[in-house]
Amino acid sequence: MTTLSTPALAAQQLGVGYLERAVIERLSLEIAHGGITALVGPNGSGKSTLLKTLARLLKPSAGTVLLDGKAIHTLSTTEIARQMAILPQGPSAPHGVTVRELVEQGRYAHVGALRMLKHQDHEAITRALELTDMTAFSHRALDSLSGGERQRAWIALTLAQDTPILLLDEPTTFLDIGHQLEVLELVEQLNRERGMTILLVLHDLNQAARYADRMIVLNGGQIRADGAPSEILTPDLLADVFGVRVNIVTDPATGTPVCLPYGVAGRKAATTEAAISEPMAFTMQSVSAAPIHA
Amino acid sequence: MATFDTVHESANIIPDVRPFAVRRFPLFLALSLGVIALLIVLHIAVGTLDFSPVQIVKALVDQAEDPLHRQVVWGLRLPRALVAIVAGAMLGLAGAILQTVTRNPLAEPGLMGVSSGGVLAIVIYIVFGAGVSADSGLILPLVGLIGGMTAATLTYLLSYSNGTDPIRLVLTGVLVAGMCSAFTSLLLLWADDYQVQRIIRWTVGSTSGRVWVHWETLYPIALIAIPIGLVSAGLANVLQLGDSVARGIGQRVELARLFLLFAASLLTAGAVAVVGAVGFIGLIGPHMARRIVGGDVRRLFPMSVILTAALLIGSDILARTLTIGWIGIITGLDIPDTAGLPVGAVTALLGAPFFLVLLLRRKHAL
Repeated sequence: MTTLSTPALAAQQLGVGYLERAVIERLSLEIAHGGITALVGPNGSGKSTLLKTLARLLKPSAGTVLLDGKAIHTLSTTEIARQMAILPQGPSAPHGVTVRELVEQGRYAHVGALRMLKHQDHEAITRALELTDMTAFSHRALDSLSGGERQRAWIALTLAQDTPILLLDEPTTFLDIGHQLEVLELVEQLNRERGMTILLVLHDLNQAARYADRMIVLNGGQIRADGAPSEILTPDLLADVFGVRVNIVTDPATGTPVCLPYGVAGRKAATTEAAISEPMAFTMQSVSAAPIHA
Repeated sequence: MATFDTVHESANIIPDVRPFAVRRFPLFLALSLGVIALLIVLHIAVGTLDFSPVQIVKALVDQAEDPLHRQVVWGLRLPRALVAIVAGAMLGLAGAILQTVTRNPLAEPGLMGVSSGGVLAIVIYIVFGAGVSADSGLILPLVGLIGGMTAATLTYLLSYSNGTDPIRLVLTGVLVAGMCSAFTSLLLLWADDYQVQRIIRWTVGSTSGRVWVHWETLYPIALIAIPIGLVSAGLANVLQLGDSVARGIGQRVELARLFLLFAASLLTAGAVAVVGAVGFIGLIGPHMARRIVGGDVRRLFPMSVILTAALLIGSDILARTLTIGWIGIITGLDIPDTAGLPVGAVTALLGAPFFLVLLLRRKHAL
């Protein structure tokens, strides 16, 4: 049934809410096979909620999620797990679990709870460890590793699932810049070399622009912009969605757009000038929490 | 060199820094079973009648020179040792399951209110039931089992709201356990002196006077519940990574949790129904097991079974030597075998300091 035109993942008129509050309303979206798509947006924009709903971790109040053209609620969770892996935000393993023991669990959807691992399972596990460069850490306990190594171990778990689609919820949070890029380079490698379809939530707009083929900007549970990073990263959009004034320049090394925020949109000029004098003091995260005067 | 076997060769090059108990787990498990066998012999050797190990082994293989030896060993001491081993094993497995399911290293078998519920049911039967008679060896365990499973069901249903949440489960369990204990305390005021004596043995936990009739109620439950618990290790391994990860990997999280909670409740209720609410070992055993064999549940569960069984029979040996050996000599009284210090008192006396060390270490680690 799968044709090239069938999207890997799609949302149709999706609505999601916690208790009474609607986080996402009537959102439709299609993710094609084979690309890297970044979901970005301010805090509370619904990007994590959308990712979790697409991964069937949250139940939508309205609408449907289609996985390879099939409504996700008609599929068993095991069937889904063979098609799509998800790494939630900030996962934690119990004390004493080693990297290999963690990664082995990724075979659950293939072998079930009672059966033993077969040859192809061991191969998938070994491959996942090699791809993430974690082979040397196989027998180390997860809680003895650094943050970057630990995150690679968790990614290895999702890779052992051997799925064509991978969803990542803020995989770079709490990592230093070196480890952030390491994770993103791995994502790029998985996409280029193994053709995996990757959808990830990112906080850093510049990293999203650098590594993603497509960026989806969410605000208030709605898609505000959707397209190639160079098309959608504009000063107007960032002022509108994040409430920041930015300059957009082109990175001489990669040719991708980079935004340089210099102030909060809608503030008086004096504040803006002060901000210009020390632009590096502003991070996207601290600014995005400020009130929006669009 | 690019053969099919490169995968395995490279796996061998990785330095295996894991401890001996992990690398050679089957061997370690076999050695532990040997220790258990030794503890059984030691347990039987201790008592008012002194036996040499040779006499015990001879009596066990039905070659005793003195018929009295055979009678004491087979009629009294062997069933008590077996009850202690199996009850300990069940509590250990229950504790390990609950620590895994709730992702809480301080979870213990009584978490779902099972122990308190079982004891309450037994106490109600002692106070109001017709039978203060001797044949209650069979009826009381059944009453306890029903009480324990009722409390577990109540906890599960009360904490269920669009799925179960481990934290809500723990809190509801504390609530149900608290209610059951409160009723037990109320009934203590109601009961007469003889009943109070019996009730306290159930609330503290005791293996004294456990004979074949108790064994016969315990082993069928153990025979069902221990294998159920052990085969659910694959489920627990995934579930202990947290709900979101487990669901993403392809687990039906609610179903897996219900199955594991059921297994843990059955194990606890079965053990409590025969030996009473023996405290702490179901907390300490799995915790020690995790330190020895690590976090993989496929090793953690069997190790918790063996280690906790060893802890309970070890504590029971201590309970017997402490009473018979010391109080008997000091007072010069002829204290009967069944009047020993309840093993639950020993486990609590040893368990509480251990618990404290554990907490202090955690504080230090933070």
